[in-house]
Amino acid sequence: MAEADEGKVEVVIVGAGLAGLSAAYVLAQAGVDTVVVERGDYPGAKNVTGGRVYMAPLRHYLPGLWDDAPFERHVTRETLTMMAEDASTAITLDSGRFRDEPYHSYTLLRGTFDRWFGDKVAEAGAFVLPKYRADNVIMEDGRVVGIVMGEEDEIRADVVVAADGVLSLIAEKAGLRKAQEPGHYAVSAKEVIELPAKSIEQRFNLGPDEGAAQLYFGALTKGMLGGGFLYTNKESISLGIVVGIGSLLEKEPKLEVHELLEDFKGRPEIRNLIAEGETVEYSAHVIPEGGIRAVPRLYSDGIVVIGEAAGLGLNVLLTVRGMEFAVASGVMAAEAIKEARERQDYSASSLARYQELLAESFVLKDLETFRHVLDFMENPRLFGYYPQAVCDIFTDLMWIDEKPKPKISSTVIRKGLSKFGKWATVRDALRVLRI
Amino acid sequence: MDIVVCMKQVPDLQQIRIKDRQPILENIPLVWGDIDKNAMEEAVKVKGKLGTGKITVVAKGSDKLQQGILEPLAMGADEAVLLMDPAFAGSDSVGTAKILAKAIEKIGSYDLVILGEGSTDNYSGVVASALAELLNLPEITYVRELEVEDGKIRAVRNMEESFEVMEAGLPALVTVAQEINQPRLPKFMDIRKAGAKPKHEWGPADIGLSTEEVGQKARRVETLSNLAPEQDRKNIMLQGDHDKQVGALVDALTKEGVLGR
Amino acid sequence: MSEILVYSYADETAFELISASKGFAGQLGATVSAALLGEGAGAKASDYFAYGADKVYVSEHPALRDFYVGTYAEALKQIAESGDVEFVLIGSSKRGKELAGRVAQKLDAGAITDANAVRAKDGNLEADRYSLGGNTLASQVITTPKKVISVMPKTFELGPKEVRQGEVVKLDLDLKEPPVKVVERREKAGDKVNLEEAEILICVGRGVQAKEDLAMIEELARLLGAEIGCTKTPASDWQWFSEERMVGLSGKKCKPILYVSIGISGQIQHTVGVVDSKIIVTINKDEKAPIFAMTDYGIVGDYAVVVPKLSEKLKSPR
Ligand SMILES: Cc1cc2nc3c(=O)[nH]c(=O)nc-3n(C[C@H](O)[C@H](O)[C@H](O)COP(=O)(O)OP(=O)(O)OC[C@H]3O[C@@H](n4cnc5c(N)ncnc54)[C@H](O)[C@@H]3O)c2cc1C
Ligand SMILES: Cc1cc2nc3c(=O)[nH]c(=O)nc-3n(C[C@H](O)[C@H](O)[C@H](O)COP(=O)(O)OP(=O)(O)OC[C@H]3O[C@@H](n4cnc5c(N)ncnc54)[C@H](O)[C@@H]3O)c2cc1C
Ligand SMILES: Nc1ncnc2c1ncn2[C@@H]1O[C@H](COP(=O)(O)O)[C@@H](O)[C@H]1O
Repeated sequence: MAEADEGKVEVVIVGAGLAGLSAAYVLAQAGVDTVVVERGDYPGAKNVTGGRVYMAPLRHYLPGLWDDAPFERHVTRETLTMMAEDASTAITLDSGRFRDEPYHSYTLLRGTFDRWFGDKVAEAGAFVLPKYRADNVIMEDGRVVGIVMGEEDEIRADVVVAADGVLSLIAEKAGLRKAQEPGHYAVSAKEVIELPAKSIEQRFNLGPDEGAAQLYFGALTKGMLGGGFLYTNKESISLGIVVGIGSLLEKEPKLEVHELLEDFKGRPEIRNLIAEGETVEYSAHVIPEGGIRAVPRLYSDGIVVIGEAAGLGLNVLLTVRGMEFAVASGVMAAEAIKEARERQDYSASSLARYQELLAESFVLKDLETFRHVLDFMENPRLFGYYPQAVCDIFTDLMWIDEKPKPKISSTVIRKGLSKFGKWATVRDALRVLRI
Repeated sequence: MDIVVCMKQVPDLQQIRIKDRQPILENIPLVWGDIDKNAMEEAVKVKGKLGTGKITVVAKGSDKLQQGILEPLAMGADEAVLLMDPAFAGSDSVGTAKILAKAIEKIGSYDLVILGEGSTDNYSGVVASALAELLNLPEITYVRELEVEDGKIRAVRNMEESFEVMEAGLPALVTVAQEINQPRLPKFMDIRKAGAKPKHEWGPADIGLSTEEVGQKARRVETLSNLAPEQDRKNIMLQGDHDKQVGALVDALTKEGVLGR
Repeated sequence: MSEILVYSYADETAFELISASKGFAGQLGATVSAALLGEGAGAKASDYFAYGADKVYVSEHPALRDFYVGTYAEALKQIAESGDVEFVLIGSSKRGKELAGRVAQKLDAGAITDANAVRAKDGNLEADRYSLGGNTLASQVITTPKKVISVMPKTFELGPKEVRQGEVVKLDLDLKEPPVKVVERREKAGDKVNLEEAEILICVGRGVQAKEDLAMIEELARLLGAEIGCTKTPASDWQWFSEERMVGLSGKKCKPILYVSIGISGQIQHTVGVVDSKIIVTINKDEKAPIFAMTDYGIVGDYAVVVPKLSEKLKSPR
């Protein structure tokens, strides 16, 4: 590996999350002198984000790496639940394809996973420096030439990679990211609840290593933009709730996410699933929701921004995605840096290659595709009216009493028209077509 | 002036979780004993003042030392002796002292041996005294101020009822108290360079011991049980502004019957 | 008949250990002896008998003038070997702790230090000591022929003082002058506080940055009828308090009915000293401070604001 000349390294990466580690892995394998600075005690130490990762992109961008990765369970059952005040309707997909290897997606715990990844990166030859926090970038005539740590420590480098997650301090200090509007973010509260593997497999009707992924929307966010998720790990459950900061700020009376989470945990649908479980982790965290609009400038002289630091994440009702964006953007940034290294030119124009690669890939394409999701989701009916309506109809269908029961078709049509035959709902339906 | 510093890697105690009264140790990251870092810092200071000499850090522990040893080396140690052989595992304090003593004898030249007042996890204080006995060295413990000059040391040690100013010739062994100094946080480039400093890995044979004489096999103390005390706390966070909070607190304490006794 | 040999730099602790050893001696079929070392030590013999020692070994060898661990260890070794000593019980002060390791090494014995409970069991002594910095309590036994245990002060009640006689063995030990000289001893201001007995205890931590703020905390203490203790920093580093008031692993272990922590993060080496409190109240500005996990009533806030309000409230409960 190229040794540090006069106290300088080639690449310093801020943040040992999936984005930073992916970039480091590729660079180290190419023999680039790379350092990853991580404020936690070890990669993933305090990283409680993430619950389930889709494998196809990971296999595509870092082939062969994942075989011995410490995943929790491969997901064999997907459930989407619409919650009304005191009822809920769930749709479950239990597909044979979920059982075919290579598996479609896994649940994971970042504490374990990132630590494993960090060791891989160190083996590959990068220098992972835990317990050190980057506080600023070093700027010299308009270009980024390194980072500052604490009072008197610094690392100078040809390129700084900002992989420090949502609300990236480094991208901000480098002038790439401006203060964002609340609408572009959601807050989440998440708990990891320990349960014996047996109980999990019984409660969720799973085989060993099989996992369930459940997403919830409706009454649990009290009409606010957002939803809940539940993932089964080997011996724990990740349970969380996500709410748009925008709608949270407007909410009267004021509400805290953790209160929402407490109510969520109290719902009969959830209560029994987590009974006797011990909460071993609690965390609140921000998630980017601005989609393509919230993506900052991705590069400048001597710096690139990757992963959630670059706002690369997609939170559509049905999925919370970010990890594969993190990995993909990390790999592409590394590729771009390798090319820049060939030219020994780390100027913005040279690093622009990273933006090109992203644009050609699913990363920016998907973000573009879902450009309108946010507007669509800003729609309160989605989180209050519709789930309630669906549950009402379903209840009527299921309800048996002493009175004569009308024909099923008529129930559906009558109720359906009364609830969905309005202009507003028709408009919503049309808007759905845009996403 | 050659200095040997003994340092121990311990699980980060703040991160240990208790489940069914059992401590859960797997995946707990290892850190250097707090006071052991003071020991290294003091060695670096002494060497700095005298302007000459070599600092060797000696550590018995797991293979995690490979990575961890960079920190003391970056702090200013010149060489490291790593005692990571599986046979060493499971030693008790006296057993640890024996292994350290043999290693230090092999290092050969030392004017000062510095340890911590106690290890962060065990805090037995036994290792230092047993080591001083084995190496037949004058011993000054709980040192909060240390001066080294031509062939002798002068130390202020912190006892329950008094500060004792003590003098001894060299070579000598001292243990330091946490208040003696503020350990430095090594700079990145020093950590980087630390990788290049000499590291010696010695097993039992290298220090003239048989595998029967060390580790678990040589234990003189047997642990019958090791459990956390039971705890159930109310964990009530008093809400509202401070006036509400103190009001609620006084009410609660009155109900508990602990006020106005 | 095997012997239990007691030595403590502080006689008080020696008496506690002798009192307890009388109990063990019965179960172990042993006798209780004690070592009296240093100038004029012999004079204390009658007290040692009064608490139950069957025999005292006395040495007033000039090399024992000042306490030096190496010399005192050598003395205890020679005493232990002159008789049939199986157990050496040492008062676990700082001196006692350093002594234990050295005596053990000399006797090829195993050592347990800072024991906070000792019981006779199956012909051996079983001792408890904190492990993992105080996270756990380990019960241990020593498996070597000779055994060295240093026991924390106040682990045992002082037994009744009786008028008893015993055997005085004057030894002339073979000792060299210590290689370490005590050139000066600066006595600390005596502080006869007894935190272990306190029913209500307030502890001050590193979060209390300004010494003048102690005034408001002392007022709170007056109102609550509390003793004031502290964590390590205010005692060892800042010297605001004598170490008699330091609570924790290397300080006092307290069992108050009410414990109030002010500006304390709750690292295990401190909390081990207060886990046995009946009620724990915490004032800390950081709601993530680990101490809240072991708190009954917690207030998140700046002590400088909260403490005066609390005192006001106590003066005039509405
Ligand atoms: C509750 C929740 C649930 C989620 N669920 C999913 C899911 O199911 N599937 C999915 O794909 N995505 C999910 N996401 C999104 C996903 O977690 C993120 O997109 C992904 O972690 C981004 O990776 P990253 O490496 O860019 O940032 P991060 O994983 O956040 O890593 C950033 C790293 O940088 C470090 N750091 C930050 N600042 C500094 C500094 N100044 N100096 C040094 N180090 C620093 C941090 O400690 C951290 O280790 C979820 C997010 C949340 C909050
Ligand atoms: C072998 C060994 C033995 C030890 N023995 C002991 C022992 O016996 N006793 C002991 O105490 N320590 C002992 N220690 C030290 C111990 O590890 C901790 O360092 C110490 O207990 C921390 O003390 P603290 O909580 O006061 O300080 P900190 O850990 O620094 O905590 C200060 C707290 O004050 C809070 N705070 C700051 N400002 C304010 C404010 N304005 N208002 C309210 N809160 C505020 C902060 O949020 C923080 O939580 C030992 C250490 C070792 C290694
Ligand atoms: N395994 C070890 N390796 C190196 N030094 C040690 C080890 N264990 C203890 N020490 C040293 O001995 C001191 C006292 O430890 P202890 O007797 O366990 O309280 C520590 O502060 C270290 O300096």
